[in-house]
Amino acid sequence: MRPFTLSKPSTISQAVSGKNEAVRYIAGGTNLLDLMKKHISEPDALLDVTTLLSDTVQSAPKGIRIGAMVRNSVAASNSDIRSGFPLVAKAILAGASPQIRNMASMGGNLLQRTRCPYFYDITMPCNKRKPGSGCGAKDGENRMSAVVGYSEHCVAVHPSDLCIALAALDASVIVTGKDQKAIAIPFKDFHRLPGSTPEKDNNLPENAIITSIDIPANAFNKNYAYLKVRDRDSYAFALVSVAAALQLDGLRIREARLASGGVAHKPWRWYEAEQFLKGKEATQATFSQAADIVIKEIKPLSNNGFKLPMLKGAIEVALQNCLTA
Amino acid sequence: MEKQTYSRRFFLTTSSLLATFAFIPESVKAFYSNVKKLVIRPKEELRFLVTINKKKYRINADSRTTLLDLVREQLQLTGTKKGCDHGQCGACTVHVDGQRVLSCLTLAAMVQDKNVTTIEGLADGDKLHPMQQAFIECDGFQCGYCTPGQIMSAVACVNEGHTGSVEEIKEFMSGNLCRCGAYNGIVESIQKVAR
Amino acid sequence: MGFFDNQPDIQHIPEGRIEGIAKVTGSGKYAAEYKVNNQCYGVLVGSSVAAGTIKSISLDDAKQVAGVIDILTHQHKPFVPGFADEAKIKEAHFGLPIFYTDKIYFKGQPIAMVIAETLEEATYAASLVSADYTIDKANVDFDKSHPGIAASNTGKERGSLDSWSNVPYVTEAEYTIQNEVHNPMEMHATIAQWTSDDKLKLYDKNQGVNNVQRTFAKLWNIPTGNIEVISEFVGGGFGSGLRVWPHTFATIMAARQVKRPVKLMLTRPQMFLLVGYRPASWQKIKIGADSNGQFAGIWHIAKHSTSVYENFEDGITRITRMVYKFSNLKTESAIVPLNLSAPTWMRGPGDCTGAFAVECAIDELSYQLKQDPVELRLKNLAIEKDPENGKTWSTNFLNEGIQKGATMINWKNRQPVPGQETDGDWKIGYGMAVGMWGAGRGKAGASIKMQRDGTITVRTAMTDIGTGTGTAMQNIAHDFTGISKNNIKVELGNSNLPPAPSQGGSTGLSSISGAVVATCEALKQKLAGYASLQNDVYKDALAKDILLSDTGISYKANFISYASLWEKNNLDLVEAEASSGPGEERQKFSFCSSAAHFCRVRVHSKTGKVKIDKMVCVVDGGKIVNEKAAANQVSGAAAGGIGMALMEEQPVDTRYGSLVGNDLAGYHFAVNADSPIVEVAFINKPDVNINPTGSKGLGEVGIIGSAAAIANAIYNATGKRLRNLPITPDKILQA
Repeated sequence: MRPFTLSKPSTISQAVSGKNEAVRYIAGGTNLLDLMKKHISEPDALLDVTTLLSDTVQSAPKGIRIGAMVRNSVAASNSDIRSGFPLVAKAILAGASPQIRNMASMGGNLLQRTRCPYFYDITMPCNKRKPGSGCGAKDGENRMSAVVGYSEHCVAVHPSDLCIALAALDASVIVTGKDQKAIAIPFKDFHRLPGSTPEKDNNLPENAIITSIDIPANAFNKNYAYLKVRDRDSYAFALVSVAAALQLDGLRIREARLASGGVAHKPWRWYEAEQFLKGKEATQATFSQAADIVIKEIKPLSNNGFKLPMLKGAIEVALQNCLTA
Repeated sequence: MEKQTYSRRFFLTTSSLLATFAFIPESVKAFYSNVKKLVIRPKEELRFLVTINKKKYRINADSRTTLLDLVREQLQLTGTKKGCDHGQCGACTVHVDGQRVLSCLTLAAMVQDKNVTTIEGLADGDKLHPMQQAFIECDGFQCGYCTPGQIMSAVACVNEGHTGSVEEIKEFMSGNLCRCGAYNGIVESIQKVAR
Repeated sequence: MGFFDNQPDIQHIPEGRIEGIAKVTGSGKYAAEYKVNNQCYGVLVGSSVAAGTIKSISLDDAKQVAGVIDILTHQHKPFVPGFADEAKIKEAHFGLPIFYTDKIYFKGQPIAMVIAETLEEATYAASLVSADYTIDKANVDFDKSHPGIAASNTGKERGSLDSWSNVPYVTEAEYTIQNEVHNPMEMHATIAQWTSDDKLKLYDKNQGVNNVQRTFAKLWNIPTGNIEVISEFVGGGFGSGLRVWPHTFATIMAARQVKRPVKLMLTRPQMFLLVGYRPASWQKIKIGADSNGQFAGIWHIAKHSTSVYENFEDGITRITRMVYKFSNLKTESAIVPLNLSAPTWMRGPGDCTGAFAVECAIDELSYQLKQDPVELRLKNLAIEKDPENGKTWSTNFLNEGIQKGATMINWKNRQPVPGQETDGDWKIGYGMAVGMWGAGRGKAGASIKMQRDGTITVRTAMTDIGTGTGTAMQNIAHDFTGISKNNIKVELGNSNLPPAPSQGGSTGLSSISGAVVATCEALKQKLAGYASLQNDVYKDALAKDILLSDTGISYKANFISYASLWEKNNLDLVEAEASSGPGEERQKFSFCSSAAHFCRVRVHSKTGKVKIDKMVCVVDGGKIVNEKAAANQVSGAAAGGIGMALMEEQPVDTRYGSLVGNDLAGYHFAVNADSPIVEVAFINKPDVNINPTGSKGLGEVGIIGSAAAIANAIYNATGKRLRNLPITPDKILQA
């Protein structure tokens, strides 16, 4: 690692005003330190925000507010989250390992950088790490890469599981910026597509800090599923993942949510399929048709054509699992 | 590594200038910030106290020192193992305030005011922790290198209550890789202690 | 150097391995964990290109980092006699002449080593070293390269290819396996200390201290005895520690250069580059049978990658020549040089690769024949004689292993037609395969020190890489002396102790057990010599009739206590040393260990996910000395087999001549959740000819054939024949 100073701001306003592009906030550190050891991130200074940000989960009739510093494992076992937003708990538990979940913060989880091997190896070209150097994955080892929403500059995928559930549940990200004002960013607008600026993962205003994640109250806590397909049974990133949630009137689908990980630069919502599901009978045939709508959207790369049948299967299974959750 | 083409003295001056004059145009700032990245920074030495295995240590360490390198290289507590240094194997698992965490992804300076337990602190004097005893009896290891991490994780796994079934144990122990594949014995050890 | 050094006296010692307490308390010292005064840190810098020549190396930035002591490069290194000139380098057969060449053979090849006061400083400074190269075209494309390289015969052809061209049942197919990497949990590490100008002390991770000692004695031109190699605890090897690698040499050079002890621990990415791997392979098998299922012939061609600077031959076709009766057999192989680092033996080397192809091909044939694969194999096993040389197998119980395994897995529940058994979206199938490994034995030495209180220490230079060698030595010493286990200590992994072969190729126990037995006898004889001064009957006593206990020696009811023996003879310490090795039995017999692998898998028809439901492994490893440790090793090998079958793969990018992803997040091997509770059974019959204990190695056979068993089970479940490892979910969906 390159040397850095380490300090602990005592207020959010101190933190935000002390932040610039050579300074990083550190919370769980599970991704940042890894990136620093790999010389991908080489900040001059770290601001330790572990005692600064809220580590509590507040429940209200309108929804739930999860402090940015709540550790992933704490969120996954929080009784309000488990009863009202079990999809979130399920997604968290599908990610990383118990040790990492004990360390990683909820806010930090949103800011995880891609696990694309070209991004992670500083001897390889990567537009996200070094703009203008090219995309190694596009015509290379892109088995894990995106199948939708990518650009010629970047085919990386977002690695988080939690974020897939948050996207499905229309969460919003509460951030405080330089102007010290808290604003809410809808989850769908938080992460970006790569376009011609893949170095930017998200739309977090410059130097702003995430203080909490809000999830509006919903009725997706009965019929939900998170399915992650990966090369080994645990402690591996997704080939594809599916967050599915249904609101049912008997067998009729009142509302549906469908999102995927491992497919795009951001957590990906399948809006068209959701619309299709609305009002239909919750049957295997319906689910299969929804999956067909999804896979029409995707355009695999040279080495990840398998994501088409895999996504179709995973969506069918996840929707089916909603009925037995 | 990018090739360096400017003298270091020049960087140092310009980067301190940068801090002083906020009115420098954006284009110039961008140039200097590129230059600034190449500056070889001096190390940052930190002094702090940590409590490891109930013992207080006065530490004088590089800001970059991880908890893992602190215990292994400075405190000679070599029971905690380095298996990857990137949070991908679990060999460096220790407890911080009773929770299992990865010491390779923890900055040493960030555990001040916290209680750290390493494998050396698990036994009660000469009396082995039941999990250590179980690992010996169930032969829950071969080469032994991942073992301290496995045991620290196993103790936490029991404390967390993730021992309802073989499948649950396996899932909640999957953050600890064992290349020898001593998984049979590891699961058996945990079942034995959880019972 | 004992396992219990630095250990408080522990009252209750639970039943288990002798080094158990050291391992569960973290007190056992692995190579990088010794405290050596004034030691500094080394970090290697790798080349950023895959082929070419170094034009210049820029060290200015790195040298600005406070704490940097020196930086080794090909332009700045100590004189090494064994690398004095091109001819010497060639003669040394060391592989990569680290720091003695400006040529780049693979990406990541060490071009510099930064030595600094702290690990943080060395690591940071290493990131600031850069180089300019004249870049040559690099080739890392195995798939495109192997067709251009012709294979040649491995061993003598039996019969002819023509003679079985008309048999009714023939299958012909190609099988491929991607690069696999050992990745032991302990990253290779060395602490090198020159204790004087010509005396070297090494704390090193390896599988054979004497091999390390010999290698460096030659390179530095100093007497072997001047080098002490300490490898008391070794955090896994799987073959990666069987040879001496450039990083260890670099550390010794660094210590020489800065005149201080230097510690180097490879990074995990470097573990993918600098300590070998199982090379990518392509195989083609043609196998035929008559309508009864009698094998008519086999033609096996195998090619695998190697490096451009050093050849490595894995021996993939060896197994084809030993398991079954093939009256017609042709085996061929070739190696394909690439701009990648040198591959090496990895658990079940060669045979593991070969068995995947052969055992899958036999499975394919069984479906054509509509014969049960168990029956087909039993019918064709070369159970009496080694088909390669016509010698009688000393013992070969593979048939029994197959039968036992079939019972354990409930083979009768298998559907003969693929794709018949389902559970919702899951398809269920059964598969089996066998593995065999030539049971070797090397010459090994051991010594015993006996104290006045009757406690003994059994010692050898052999390492214990996790196989339980030390515990087995204790068990054998107990069996052959009668002294209770509590009174037997073991010391190993130090080159100052009686020399022994490297621990690898499943020869460790087979070799050392003979030495321990011989030493036990030597001890008895020595004690009898002293006893004869007190009692004449001992004069003619043979070792086998002498019994030792915790308190004394007895022969034909003549007991003499150690106390009196020591007293009368004015003894301090009694020491016996002996060695033992293979002999004439090798002329008479062939020796093998074997395994029968069975598994039941579930394959998800919609996601391609494979779950191993049940795995059974029945091993013939001769007499089992320590059943718990042996079963652990076999079930661990099964986990290795699961990795090989389903997930292990190190991709390369042919455009950049580079590995893609070189870490444990990208390189998957089985985690706890991937492995079922593996069921292990042993034949447990001694091979009386191989060595005095009748035990044979079993570390290799545990993995040889297991990937084939899984692939065969996937076929039985789905009707999809996957011939390219690893069988990841994408391949299942796209088959």
